[in-house]
Amino acid sequence: MTAATAPVTAPRSWRVPSAAGPARLLRVELRRSPMLWLLPVLAAAFYVSTYHPAMDNPPFWNIRSGMLQSHTMLVFAPLLAGVGAWVGSRDGRRGLADLVGATAVPRWAGQLATWAAATIWAEALYLGCVGVLYGVTADEGPWGGPLWWPVAVGAATVAASCAVGFAAGELLPGRFTAALAALVVFLALAGGAFAIQDDATYAQIWPLNVQGPFPSDSYGIFYPYLPDLALAQVMFLAGLAAAALGALGWPAGAGGRWLRGAAAAVTVAGLAAAGTGTALAGTARVEANGMVIPALHNAASDRPTPYTPVCGRGAVPVCLQPAYRADLPEVTAALGPLLSQLAGLPGAPVRVTQVAVTSVHPAPSNGIAFGPPVIRGRPAVLDLPLSGLTLPGEGNTPAASFISSLRQQYGPVIVNELVGLPADTVTIGMNPVVGNDDHAAQFAVAQALERGLNGPSLIRSIPPGARAGGPVAGASTRGASPSSAQLQAAVNRFAALPEGARHAWLATHLTALRAGRVTLSEIP
Amino acid sequence: MNVEITGLTRRFGRTQAVAGVDLQAGPGVFGLLGPNGAGKTSLLRMLATVIPPTSGRLRLLGRDPGSYGPRREIRRRLGYLPQNLGYYPSFTVAEFVEYFALLKEMPAFRVPAAVATAIERVELGDKARSKLRTLSGGMLRRVGIAQAIVNEPDLLLLDEPTAGLDPQQRVSFRAVLRDLGEHATVIVSTHLVEDVGAACTRVALMDAGKIVFHGTPAEMTDRAEGTDAVGDAPLERGYSAVLAAARSVAGARS
Repeated sequence: MTAATAPVTAPRSWRVPSAAGPARLLRVELRRSPMLWLLPVLAAAFYVSTYHPAMDNPPFWNIRSGMLQSHTMLVFAPLLAGVGAWVGSRDGRRGLADLVGATAVPRWAGQLATWAAATIWAEALYLGCVGVLYGVTADEGPWGGPLWWPVAVGAATVAASCAVGFAAGELLPGRFTAALAALVVFLALAGGAFAIQDDATYAQIWPLNVQGPFPSDSYGIFYPYLPDLALAQVMFLAGLAAAALGALGWPAGAGGRWLRGAAAAVTVAGLAAAGTGTALAGTARVEANGMVIPALHNAASDRPTPYTPVCGRGAVPVCLQPAYRADLPEVTAALGPLLSQLAGLPGAPVRVTQVAVTSVHPAPSNGIAFGPPVIRGRPAVLDLPLSGLTLPGEGNTPAASFISSLRQQYGPVIVNELVGLPADTVTIGMNPVVGNDDHAAQFAVAQALERGLNGPSLIRSIPPGARAGGPVAGASTRGASPSSAQLQAAVNRFAALPEGARHAWLATHLTALRAGRVTLSEIP
Repeated sequence: MNVEITGLTRRFGRTQAVAGVDLQAGPGVFGLLGPNGAGKTSLLRMLATVIPPTSGRLRLLGRDPGSYGPRREIRRRLGYLPQNLGYYPSFTVAEFVEYFALLKEMPAFRVPAAVATAIERVELGDKARSKLRTLSGGMLRRVGIAQAIVNEPDLLLLDEPTAGLDPQQRVSFRAVLRDLGEHATVIVSTHLVEDVGAACTRVALMDAGKIVFHGTPAEMTDRAEGTDAVGDAPLERGYSAVLAAARSVAGARS
């Protein structure tokens, strides 16, 4: 050691910190943050949890952005909380508490610089991941533009995870704090999944919840993306982060009276924000265009997004929202054969138009049921909702599977509606429910039409009263009720007719059939 | 006076670590001697404003560290090397010293030069870009000294600073201490009596939480005259004589 090499000057004035000091402190922390070591792990986790599955789905902005919020954060949040705790417990683990405690920078300011460095790296990586996924998605040419609210919720989750972990590490420094913090955050996220399944409305605040029970391809297309729930989530997450970080500023050694007062205010504000966000989420309700929180809702978001539909060719053209352009051939292939049989019939649709949803109904286990296709207007138009169906390419779903699914779910409903069977609500994924006691003739015609379309009838139920050998209620206008054998015979007869003959008969009798004035025996 | 202490005490639960210390110290190198458990580290931690005293009056650099504002001003002019120095393994020597210069709120424009100077003074210039995890124990101790002196402190508190240093480094370090002590108050807590003899202008001996001797090293050496105190060097014999006398007085009182 050399006393002579550097003579000590004697600046005896009280030094005043410069504004550049905190920036340089942050720079040092940025350079040596342990978060840097985690970045490759996070990048790999993003690839496995989000990017790869996203590429197995069609390029819809809503699907891709939803995965950023749910898939990515499920993996990122526990890891970030763990590293946050590791960073936060640094001084305690390393025996630096005394040394750091004897320095002039308020302890709380130093802690915030350390947390900020870790969080900046985590946010940078997250935004990089967003950039990659959105860049690739944009390259695939989807309709519309990227959705940023799910990204904002993800960014808030990153900050909150780091803050909660960091606070845990500072308050409980130890070798196992990081692992415990990661585990607790993971369990909290898993617990949120269970809570939301139990229809707990406050659980809508769960950071992985994108739009409540809506499937990821059912929002942000026909209407603007509703940011209500995302706003509440950001409020909750920012509040959580503020409360956790603010709590670090309470101890006597954290800073002066003013700073500790500020820390207390930050904590209180954070708790208030988190509580308000949760309370607002508790008021969320399911609407056709997404989750609506009345206090945060902007009515302008309820106006449909204008678009020019893309239409196929055929006797009855199928027109889809341009986001579904790639699915037009499959939808046309699914409905075309049926539509060609119905073309020109009185009340038959002259066009098929995709709609958002015709109605939504809460379903058990945080589910949602969409309304069925509906024929309406003059000339008649078939409103066709595709939301909730598994689209071709979604989760590697083959086109044939989509075509079959669409036919099975919507074909009977369209026929039922045309022939005048009660248009009972179709619950997606369940068999259609048809008929009552007065619709045997309609039922027979519908079955015959579908047999021609798909082979064996897709309608699983038969009219009540039509049991093996028993009478069929509803054919009673000419005396005794027909047996199921009579019903089956009528179906077979009508199905055996050439398509042209069926069409001609329907053209003249469909109105009467729909009105219930045709009996089984009158079916050719 | 940079250090003014009156009736200072510190308790940890039922243990009285510091039991009424009176001390005044101006510029110069001040040696704090004493056996294990005498209360030296607790006294230094109070002087470093890490822990508050239980009772008594403490003024550092003319200010009361009990209030936050003055305490912050004191800390800007304070250098502290704790007994057990922790470190961030992934930091380089330069980054570690820079980090503490910034924590001491040095003006940012002065930091690079001050860091370089401090590192050169502890002869770690060639290791400035080495990660701390790669350094030996002695080198880490020198890094600790560098961070303590980086802000050219007016009050420098060193707890066992020469632990782990080889003889040549200890000799160099004493020269640094003497240099710093020309205008700053340097308080060195140590077990190594020869460090005190070589570098300190004044010395205090603590036992059972109290200062039982306060004077120059020569005065301590003189206390050995006419006693059968043991020790390899004159100052060591003085140390033993003072300690034995203090304990016999304490024993008689009890």
